[in-house]
Amino acid sequence: MKREHIRNFCIIAHVDHGKSTLADRLLELTGTVDSRTMRAQYLDTLELERERGITIKSVPVRMNYKSPDGTDYILNLIDTPGHVDFSYEVSRSLAACEGALLVVDAAQGVEAQTVANAYMAAEQGLELVPVINKIDLPSAQPEEARRELEEIIGVDAHDAILASAKEGRGVPEILERIVRDIPTPKGHPEAPLQALIFDSIYDNYRGVICYVRIVNGRLKAGQSIRFMATGRECLAEEVGVFKPGMTTVQELEAGEVGYLAASIKTIHEAHVGDTVIEGGKTDSVALPGYKKVKPVVFCGFYPVVNEDYPQLRDALEKLQLNDSAIQFEPETSSALGFGFRCGFLGLLHMDIARERLTREFDVDLVATAPNVVYQIVRPSGEVFEAHRPSDFPDVGQIEEIREPYIRLTVFVPSEFVGKVMQLCQDKRGIFQAMDYITPERLRLSYVLPLAEFIVDFHDKLKSTTRGYASLDYEQVGFRAAELVKVDVLVNQEPIDAFSFICHKDAAFHMGQAVVRKLKELIPRQLFEVPIQAAIGKKVVVRQNVKPLRKDVLAKCYGGDITRKRKLLEKQKEGKKKMKQIGRVSIPQEAFLAYLNIGKDEED
Amino acid sequence: MLGKRPAIDTLYIGGGTPTCLDPKQWGTLCGLLEEGLSFSRGAEVSVEANPDSLQDGHLAVWKSWRILRVSLGIQSFSPSALRWLGRLHDARKALDALESCRQKGFWVSGDLLFGIPGQDLAIWHKDLQTLSHYAGHVSTYQLTAEPGTPLADEIVPTQSEGYPFYRFAQWYLHQKGFVQYEVASFARGGQWCRHNLSYWRQGNVLALGPSAWGYVDGLRYRNNCDLDGYLSQKGATASRWSERLSDDDRAREAAILALRTRWGIRWRSFRRHFGEKRTRSIHEILAGLPRDLFLRRQGCTAFSPKGFRVANAIWELLV
Ligand SMILES: Nc1nc2c(ncn2[C@@H]2O[C@H](COP(=O)(O)OP(=O)(O)OP(=O)(O)O)[C@@H](O)[C@H]2O)c(=O)[nH]1
Ligand SMILES: [Mg+2]
Repeated sequence: MKREHIRNFCIIAHVDHGKSTLADRLLELTGTVDSRTMRAQYLDTLELERERGITIKSVPVRMNYKSPDGTDYILNLIDTPGHVDFSYEVSRSLAACEGALLVVDAAQGVEAQTVANAYMAAEQGLELVPVINKIDLPSAQPEEARRELEEIIGVDAHDAILASAKEGRGVPEILERIVRDIPTPKGHPEAPLQALIFDSIYDNYRGVICYVRIVNGRLKAGQSIRFMATGRECLAEEVGVFKPGMTTVQELEAGEVGYLAASIKTIHEAHVGDTVIEGGKTDSVALPGYKKVKPVVFCGFYPVVNEDYPQLRDALEKLQLNDSAIQFEPETSSALGFGFRCGFLGLLHMDIARERLTREFDVDLVATAPNVVYQIVRPSGEVFEAHRPSDFPDVGQIEEIREPYIRLTVFVPSEFVGKVMQLCQDKRGIFQAMDYITPERLRLSYVLPLAEFIVDFHDKLKSTTRGYASLDYEQVGFRAAELVKVDVLVNQEPIDAFSFICHKDAAFHMGQAVVRKLKELIPRQLFEVPIQAAIGKKVVVRQNVKPLRKDVLAKCYGGDITRKRKLLEKQKEGKKKMKQIGRVSIPQEAFLAYLNIGKDEED
Repeated sequence: MLGKRPAIDTLYIGGGTPTCLDPKQWGTLCGLLEEGLSFSRGAEVSVEANPDSLQDGHLAVWKSWRILRVSLGIQSFSPSALRWLGRLHDARKALDALESCRQKGFWVSGDLLFGIPGQDLAIWHKDLQTLSHYAGHVSTYQLTAEPGTPLADEIVPTQSEGYPFYRFAQWYLHQKGFVQYEVASFARGGQWCRHNLSYWRQGNVLALGPSAWGYVDGLRYRNNCDLDGYLSQKGATASRWSERLSDDDRAREAAILALRTRWGIRWRSFRRHFGEKRTRSIHEILAGLPRDLFLRRQGCTAFSPKGFRVANAIWELLV
């Protein structure tokens, strides 16, 4: 197919504005997926995506489209996630496209991620095609949405397509506009090969499968290739396109989007952002690739059973091949043994990673409370980064602690402004600006500690505004803060996995919440177990788990001794699922429950 | 069947409802047993009876043979509890049975259940009071249900795990002169059931009849559960299932079983049987636990009343 007849585009929008549903209609109308196999949000194939109703991972798919004027086109579509934690997914997809459908929910209007994603696309030089979706809703205000597109984002929206992805309205028009407005891919099929790896997944049989955009030249099955950054050379065993399943082709040429499998087993051989060139060549130019993202949230992942450490490492490596934004390094906890400190782009990202490890890779793990990166200034003036509470030196060795701040932008209907401002203030936010987008909607801007944000800001914002507010944030560097490290001791032993950093004024309150929660979760043992929260040597909270009072089921009469033994063995097996710390058995939930302490306080 | 016919020290005729046999059939059974087995002097012979089907005729036959103890399945005297349990007998029948057994001069043993929905401390007190009036041997069991059965839904496991009932039984029966000689059993005047004790002491037990359990020198076995199956196989091969314990397992099990009783583990004989290493590992586990869970005297370690209450948690450390 001629390059003039190829269009590469992605669908971008705020979360839930209907990207995946619109993709469904495009797949249907182009006959890519037949009506029998069609199901809602067809491209959301991960179990977690289906369960939570959100897109987590960008998915490319190729469609054949016959325009009413009789021309055949190949359309490569990439459906992207809308949640702020996954904006890195979006940014990578953009590099494989020349245009983007910018979808706006007609009832909600322009939201924070609409702006953020539109800006990213503009920055990459993509042509934006505005689509106002969900016009079937009784509450739809398409004219309002059109105005916001122009006034807030600054795109020309006079001919924005009015659509309903649910009912299929406006979809033929969208297809026509894609071929009319989105530029054909540049690049030359006869030039030397240059392909950008914009994503990858791990497949148990074929190894790493690289998603590639061919920028120049051709990529043939069986040819020898070289990964520029890693220098690895190998044969391109399989080359193909997404139809939506992977379908092999003989070759991909400049302008096309597809995949490449080459028996790659580790991230050290080929990674996202790398450029694929012809084997044996060394004088090629690397494509721009991607800025490495910096994780903003860290937590420890530990196997429940220490022996499972290698499995966890394996699983993390594979997950990283599916999600290049995850970072991890080994760490040791005196309480939990060997594990990994993992970095994520947000709490949802972390939560998804944890679930995928358990479900897709079948490892039982314990996650410690998340924290941000701190900068610590020693009396000598030396500054270092602390990725976990145990990196904190003794109080005497700390001159200053700095924590990361974000600039937070909240879009909110005016009736909720007071509540949102209160929430920001509670989270130690510093007011920056407020402006009216429309008479009913405002944009609020605050500077606020990231640590306060990651705990539960999103949930609280949702509940206080009944879901009508949206947010975006960017990091704005570090600022000094009065923080303390709170240690938690169980049976007199400090449990490093339970330590946390918080503002000095919140230490008592949070210590109490943690101790109370642990008291609830730690089962009675044969002896009394004190649980304490301490700052340095000073104990600020103490509660005791009373000793076990009764545990005797004399459920074994006469000679049925074997049965009793089996029961005891089973009981013991159950305890093994708990983390044995010193003489105390602590159930896994105790580690997980940590994440919910803030929430529980509300109920 | 018995080869050299070693003398029998204790015999327990149980398995639910031996009183299904009428007194005449019982006469035949006693004759067969007397002929087929040889009893040591002072052998303890016990029989299980159901208050429903127990007749005076039974007692007469038993009295004329070797039977020392009659064990009655009482469960409760409370009408509402009996109804809940779906028992056929009413409290009256149970009292009659107890009274007849006592008049005939049998040692009487009864069992009671706690944890029945609707039961409270007053009802439990009444149950213990009534039974301890007639019986020299009382066993208490907590009502439990297999997970998944309809019963399991009805019995709500409580935080206290029946603690108040068990604890009260320990306290009350002690007042009444009973000694807790086993985790679930109390006896007055030395009326402990030697037959049961032989299980806890890993003594040799010969299993007769379908689904009975036996233990001979480290081999534990269970007879075929249905009668036809049992009858069709002869002698020693009638066992449907068996296991031989390794020395390590045997040592751990011996410790657990010994701790069921008030005599506990006698370290010297334990060491002689199982060797220094195994003995030490068990000793160390117990030494690491709070002291008030144990009574330590004359080279023995046994549970204190408090220890009995958390026996499972301690045994779990030993399996
Ligand atoms: N009424 C109506 N509902 C729609 C329309 N398009 C999508 N929806 C609904 O909006 C919800 C979100 O749709 P999705 O397609 O999953 O949204 P998304 O933008 O892909 O969401 P993320 O991938 O999580 O960012 C679903 O419940 C859809 O059924 C529409 O045109 N009309
Ligand atoms: Mg989606």
